[in-house]
Amino acid sequence: AVVNTIDVRGNQRVDADTIRGNMTIKPGVNFTNVDIDESIKQLFATGLFSDVRIDQRGRVLIVTVDENLIINQIVFNGNKKIKDKQLEAIVQSRPLGPYSETTIEYDADAIREAYDRIGRSDATVTTQVVNLNGGRVNVAFDISEGGRTKITSINFVGNKAYSNGRLADVINTKRSGILSFLSRKDVYDPDKLRADEELLRRFYYNRGFADFRIISSSADLDPASGDYVITITLDEGERYSFGDIEVESTVAGIDAEAVRRHLASRKGAVYSAEKVEDSIISISEAAAADGYPFAQVTPRGNRDFANRTISVTYLIDQGQRAYIERIEIRGNTRTADYVIRREFDISEGDAFNQVLIRRAKRRLEGLGYFQSVNITTQPGSEPDRVVIIVDVKDQATGEFSIGAGYSTGTSGATAELGISERNFLGRGQFIKVAVGGGVDTRTYRFSFTEPYFLGYRLAAGFDVAKTEDTSQDDYDIETLGVTFRVAAPITDRLRTVVAYNYSREEYDPETGATFSAPIQDAINNSPWVKSSISNSLIFDTIDDKRLPREGIFARMTGEFAGLGGDAKFVKFTARGSYYHPISEYGDIIGMLSAGGGYVASTSGDLRVFDQLFIGGETIRGFESQGIGPRDTNGDALGGTTYFNATAEVGFPVPVLPRDFGLRGAVFADAATLYGTDLNLGGATVNGLDMQWRASVGGSVIWSSPFGPFRIDFGFPIAKESFDKTQTFRFGTAGKF
Amino acid sequence: CQGNKDIDITALDIETEPADVLYNQALANIKAGKMKEASRKFDAIDKQHPYSEYARRAMVMNSFANYRMGRYSESINSARRYISLYPNSEDTAYAYYLIGLSYYRQIPQVTRDQGTARKAIAAFSEIIQRYPESEYVADSEVKLRFARDQLAGKEMQIGRYYQERKEYAAAVNRFRTVVESYPNTRQVEEALARLTEVYFAMGLTQDAQAAAAVLGHNYPDSQWYADSYKLLQTEGLEPRENRGSWITRAGSRLIGGSQS
Amino acid sequence: CNTSETFTQGYVVDSETLELVPPGSSKEQVLLSLGTPTTKGDYGQETFYYISQKRVRNAMFMKPRLVDQSILAVYFDDEGTVSSISNYTLEDGKVFDTIHRTTPTGGKEETFLSRALSSVGSSGQAGARQIITGGNNSGL
Repeated sequence: AVVNTIDVRGNQRVDADTIRGNMTIKPGVNFTNVDIDESIKQLFATGLFSDVRIDQRGRVLIVTVDENLIINQIVFNGNKKIKDKQLEAIVQSRPLGPYSETTIEYDADAIREAYDRIGRSDATVTTQVVNLNGGRVNVAFDISEGGRTKITSINFVGNKAYSNGRLADVINTKRSGILSFLSRKDVYDPDKLRADEELLRRFYYNRGFADFRIISSSADLDPASGDYVITITLDEGERYSFGDIEVESTVAGIDAEAVRRHLASRKGAVYSAEKVEDSIISISEAAAADGYPFAQVTPRGNRDFANRTISVTYLIDQGQRAYIERIEIRGNTRTADYVIRREFDISEGDAFNQVLIRRAKRRLEGLGYFQSVNITTQPGSEPDRVVIIVDVKDQATGEFSIGAGYSTGTSGATAELGISERNFLGRGQFIKVAVGGGVDTRTYRFSFTEPYFLGYRLAAGFDVAKTEDTSQDDYDIETLGVTFRVAAPITDRLRTVVAYNYSREEYDPETGATFSAPIQDAINNSPWVKSSISNSLIFDTIDDKRLPREGIFARMTGEFAGLGGDAKFVKFTARGSYYHPISEYGDIIGMLSAGGGYVASTSGDLRVFDQLFIGGETIRGFESQGIGPRDTNGDALGGTTYFNATAEVGFPVPVLPRDFGLRGAVFADAATLYGTDLNLGGATVNGLDMQWRASVGGSVIWSSPFGPFRIDFGFPIAKESFDKTQTFRFGTAGKF
Repeated sequence: CQGNKDIDITALDIETEPADVLYNQALANIKAGKMKEASRKFDAIDKQHPYSEYARRAMVMNSFANYRMGRYSESINSARRYISLYPNSEDTAYAYYLIGLSYYRQIPQVTRDQGTARKAIAAFSEIIQRYPESEYVADSEVKLRFARDQLAGKEMQIGRYYQERKEYAAAVNRFRTVVESYPNTRQVEEALARLTEVYFAMGLTQDAQAAAAVLGHNYPDSQWYADSYKLLQTEGLEPRENRGSWITRAGSRLIGGSQS
Repeated sequence: CNTSETFTQGYVVDSETLELVPPGSSKEQVLLSLGTPTTKGDYGQETFYYISQKRVRNAMFMKPRLVDQSILAVYFDDEGTVSSISNYTLEDGKVFDTIHRTTPTGGKEETFLSRALSSVGSSGQAGARQIITGGNNSGL
């Protein structure tokens, strides 16, 4: 049929041309019923009409419409915790969009649900609609947010191997406490609870409890207090250790014995799901290295209930042969493509190998430049081709940080203001500028690091630091230091750092102050330039830097000063600490640490300030520079050799709830500092020979949301008469 | 801060000014270069006279005002809304053009995700294909070519990354993609020169000669051809075309150069 | 402790399937047994190249060094049947330094300031929460 005019009826606000524009039927053009349906569908799609009718009378097409009410404005009242902008995103109704009761009801529920998520499940939402002229309405959502529903307690039922406190530490949902307004972790959320169950499963599977089951986890709302009580009932089952470990391979050319060497799971050791996974990774890597990238490793475990062992057989067979066609990197609005691509050990054209892709994913997440990294695969242009899609979401890596610290040692209260950027210009470089100061110190610092220097995985960079220190009562020190450093990983756990340091120290004494010969000699030689090169070897297997429970951290540093400059010496320092849990149940962690150092001049006498100084930071119970050789008017002269040892036992503070982040510790320190290479100029100096000092004491460690703080109470039990003791120390927790 | 004060909606009367007055005020603001003011006026028309003829024109002009202010996502949103409400009005081409321009302005450097370049290409291709005689086609073609050159530039950057690490298979395939999928961009000269280099480094000299021949044939006086020629000369080789190879077939398409 | 790692990259050659494609066999036969070629060649009739490389990295920070490369080239005659198969090794490769010039590309340059401000704004609260105490290490 054909019409020559389209007559629009029933429209008040919507312009007739707009309606004609949204129809496939045109005057003078033939159309069929299909066009009529299509036009009706299109008109409805605009959302402007509650009803559309099209019929034809002779040469005229009559289109009659009933217009929807239009929302003029949407307003949210009474909301404080969730801002208008967020609510606008949650509700479906839009200003200028169509108004319908069902959507408004749906929106009210959506708002209630949003409040439930932030822990305000008793919030109420009422809607109010006001008619304006011209078929338009205003909509208001009146919200009363109600009180915060807290979590009064989290109880575990059926746990024998680990205490309630230890398990509370494992999961993310926390009990409400005075500090929880900061972390917001005390909000009950069913999805979070399910994620916590997964954390518990993983915790137990990695500690031998292969049969671990969560029987039930429930959150009951106590109507009186309006708070939640969460109860998790679990069945730990037996603790298993590894039985025999076998490797079977259907792929010719892979010899099972050689592969066995790579296994992380050892016979007799406590069973751990993580160790099985690590074994799979190391077998796949070994197979790929030998030219079998398609090898597929699947573990098969069978339990021996009698003596509670699980023997694991790793089956290696030929997987599907697929090659990588392209690696597509998407979403990197900030980070450069090569900064992401260089974390992949495999490239386009190589065999598709899940393990190497997982390793790249872990490396990318470790960079800290991304909120999320997920890697998916899509079929390539040929059946044996795969395209890898790397979707990253950049995150703000710039940080404006305010640092505050107090240490009863040298500098007292200090504060530092810094701006740093971890992913400078998306090139993966680190840059930081910081200005700091204390009562009588000023520090200015600038550092830069390029993680892939000249394409090698070498983190090269430099630091410039200027400090002015007027804390000594009778002389001021000004130092300017520049360090060029290169850090190179040798294996996953061993890395070395080579650095060149140039520093210039200037002393200006108060007029009329008297010093002992060595200090006077140093002041006379001001400004004093040290130009040295140093090399450190760091071995680090610590499991968690914030609260180490297992692992070794050892650092050895050698420094040779004498490439020009005034300082001429060789200095060697070493320190190693070993952490091991004493009781898993009580989460009691033991730590043994030992260290030593030696310095010797390579020509003439050493300068006093280049000697080694040991005090409160190494042996608690003593002042900073509190032990070692000392002149008659009490100034420490340092020594040429020192040794120290520490034994410490850390435990959660029993009474207080765990999520305060408080831990206690008892310790025993021992240290000695002796020998000198100074030109004493006949002055009498005490403590030149080797005398062990020892102290015992206790500490409180608080991992606050603002950073780790530590209070130590040290009581010397063996000391020299001239040593300077100091019982109370307060400052930052140990740095790695 | 108590940003969201409570509003009693009953009292919220809406003062309506006639649509044409608002529209002319908006146009005056645009002439005076006060885009923010103009955009506010267009919003007012949209709010007070929704879906009227003025509202239609205000919507597309609002997209233009936002584009001029550099608020690209707002510009794209109102242009998209315009296209869905008025799919075949005389300003729909302009709406597509504004979407293209908004994405075009956001195209980042080649080391970043070129998603916006792809979206710009889609919007400009829509104009060229649906509104061939519209006045925006000429500029759309220019900007389309630039956006495609960006995509080719990204392939080259990744190709060079693999070439530098001697991962030749990956490098060859990336440079081939440029020659096959982006023949009429500025990058194709370098792609052919890099192919010559990579084949030469792998020892596949005949392929190097073929690549150099195509480069010479299409861009005889390009510096890239001079470099490739010099490279082949180090082994006493000459660029030599061979009919069957993919590159010669791809090369002939270059000469044709008609492919959009 | 042995810190070196080896990587075999690219096509995985195994000799049995190589015997399946003697000269004279069809292109489909080659695709079926050897699979899709790593890349195709440009000389004479279409040529299939199967490229494999072997790299060794002595320590984690080193660049993996190319120690072995083999390119399996399958040439076809005009009827599309295998005319000959040859193997190019690392020795056939030529060593030279590549052209450093690159074709200019456009796109918005993100300046440090525009990024620092945008990131500080959004991470303002993150910054305040992440408080470092004085005297920390130099960002090693």
